[in-house]
Amino acid sequence: MSIELVDKLTELLKQVTGFIYPNEIQIHWTLLIVVYPYITGLVAGAFILASLVKVFNVKEVQPTYRLAMLTALAFLIVAPLPLLLHLGHPERSYEIFLTPNLSSAMAMFGFVYAWYLMLVLLLEIWFEYRKDMVLWGKTEKFPMNWFYKILSLFSTDISEKAVAFDKKAVKAITIVGIPSAFILHGYVGFIFGSVKANPWWSSVLIPIVFLFSAIVSGIAIVLLLYMIITTSRGKQIDMKCLDRVASFLLYAVIVDFSLEVLDFIHRLYESEESITIITTMVLNKLSISLIVMQILLGMLLPLGILIIVKIFRFNQELRKLLYFVSAIMIQIGIFSTRWNVVIGGQMFSKSFRGLLTYKMEIFGLEGLLMAVFLLILPFLILTVLLKVLPPWGKNNETNTT
Amino acid sequence: MKIFFTKVPDPIIRLVIVFGVFFGVILFVRGFVIPKELKEKGIHRTSAIERELASEIHYAGSGICAECHDEEYDLKNEGYHQKLSCEVCHGPAMEHTEEPDDFTPPAPRQRKFCPECHTYNPSRPTGFPQINPVAHNPLRPCIDCHNPHDPKPLTVPRECSACHAQIAITKAGSHHVMLECTVCHDTPDEHKSTPRLIRAGKPVKRDLCASCHDKDSGVKEVPKIDVYTHGEKYVCWQCHSPHMPEVNHE
Repeated sequence: MSIELVDKLTELLKQVTGFIYPNEIQIHWTLLIVVYPYITGLVAGAFILASLVKVFNVKEVQPTYRLAMLTALAFLIVAPLPLLLHLGHPERSYEIFLTPNLSSAMAMFGFVYAWYLMLVLLLEIWFEYRKDMVLWGKTEKFPMNWFYKILSLFSTDISEKAVAFDKKAVKAITIVGIPSAFILHGYVGFIFGSVKANPWWSSVLIPIVFLFSAIVSGIAIVLLLYMIITTSRGKQIDMKCLDRVASFLLYAVIVDFSLEVLDFIHRLYESEESITIITTMVLNKLSISLIVMQILLGMLLPLGILIIVKIFRFNQELRKLLYFVSAIMIQIGIFSTRWNVVIGGQMFSKSFRGLLTYKMEIFGLEGLLMAVFLLILPFLILTVLLKVLPPWGKNNETNTT
Repeated sequence: MKIFFTKVPDPIIRLVIVFGVFFGVILFVRGFVIPKELKEKGIHRTSAIERELASEIHYAGSGICAECHDEEYDLKNEGYHQKLSCEVCHGPAMEHTEEPDDFTPPAPRQRKFCPECHTYNPSRPTGFPQINPVAHNPLRPCIDCHNPHDPKPLTVPRECSACHAQIAITKAGSHHVMLECTVCHDTPDEHKSTPRLIRAGKPVKRDLCASCHDKDSGVKEVPKIDVYTHGEKYVCWQCHSPHMPEVNHE
């Protein structure tokens, strides 16, 4: 153990309250493990929003469809990075992929990820953009025309029959994609929910709560991106679309909130021996991040705003402002949810008699700066994706698909 | 066959080719690039086991010590340390078993060794003998009082502890642990029946302490002073606590 680590742990030791076991002082799953479910949740949520158009025929949300798909892809590309960085040797990660371990629940993420990336997102985006890519391959200048030709796998057929087949394929993939998105984020919840030694995590409700909070955050991020991107392009925001997305956001928040309340009541009623330490932890160590940020700011306030907007028909500008504010608050709230699950689960002793403290690093592989970088990276990737595969077409024509 | 290919939509054929190439590359890498041992299904790789088997053996195991050191071995096996292997304290002894005369395993006689296990730590099981190394007979090597092969807790003289338990406990961890109370205290028999009427006496002269601590006394390993100049007119216990005499740690 390095001297710096000993110094750091000695400093933390002073902040321990009650009794803890000697090996508990170091919190192993740190900020990056908070970022991981947050990013994966955005992927699953954005995809669910996109699937509303193709599977459930919600025509109003059409303008956000391609954006949602590209958002999901941008975040999915970043999703494994927090894990690989957390493990300490990201440069060795190829070994995991080449020698997969079929009996490890943790290694299952690789399979779930590969399935979702290759057979759902990439395929659906390819079919969705195939016609456009064929056209751009013909109209763009060198070298971009070759880039599009390679992207479209040199296909040239844009006859009505072929385009109809593309649409069918997109629908079929979306139908497979919905359970896949559920599995992707349900899996992240499962990894926590299946740790039976940890009463804060060990609950069959965790995957479902994770899933619905993912849908909430995914819809909110697409709503935010749609508003920002459309405004920055100097276009009018489609208010019908925005209202509809906000309605879905409201429904998702209601379901998510009910599930979290259910989980809370369930824990209180069960009153297992861990309830005392968990109550102490929630009231002390997690009072800001859980009660203030997750429940009040991240859940009740946006819920109230969205309900008020639904009841009173405000004018367009005020509605936009309120949607924007509540979507941002929801992002803060869902990030706090991930924080409270991951860090909260490690802040109490397994003896149920003491509480620990987590001190965040600033620099280093698992530090704050790396987490901020990983949260910015998907937006950079999305910017590139929007340049390469603009949802609104090359000549700013409206998306007709 | 040709009809079949014309019926399959064009994009599907292209995608199948891409995925085919992708999986082909993976299978190629797995089949020909990755070393065989990385693909073994067992818990340990054969090469790792071979490497470990080839490494030099340092520990001889506890059984072999009994062949020569049967007395210590039997004593240890009857005492509290029966589950400890000899090499836990004496270190790896393979070399010693091969060349007994050329190599002698170390015997830790320093004070720092035993507290590795016996320092007070709340996570140790209840009843496990634990001490505070700072206060417990400071500076003295543990083996002065405890036999590591038969580490019974010392039996402190206890005739006074029925009433003076606190003092007895304090003294048990001090340098004066083996001194009977009556060495210093004058205790008439009546003190035991009517302790408040007939008091036990305290030393009133410095001679008692000086018998060990004077620079001219023959007792070894105790702090020495010049009894005629040190402390002027005071009796020793007015400044020093005889139940837990202080120790200069320097």
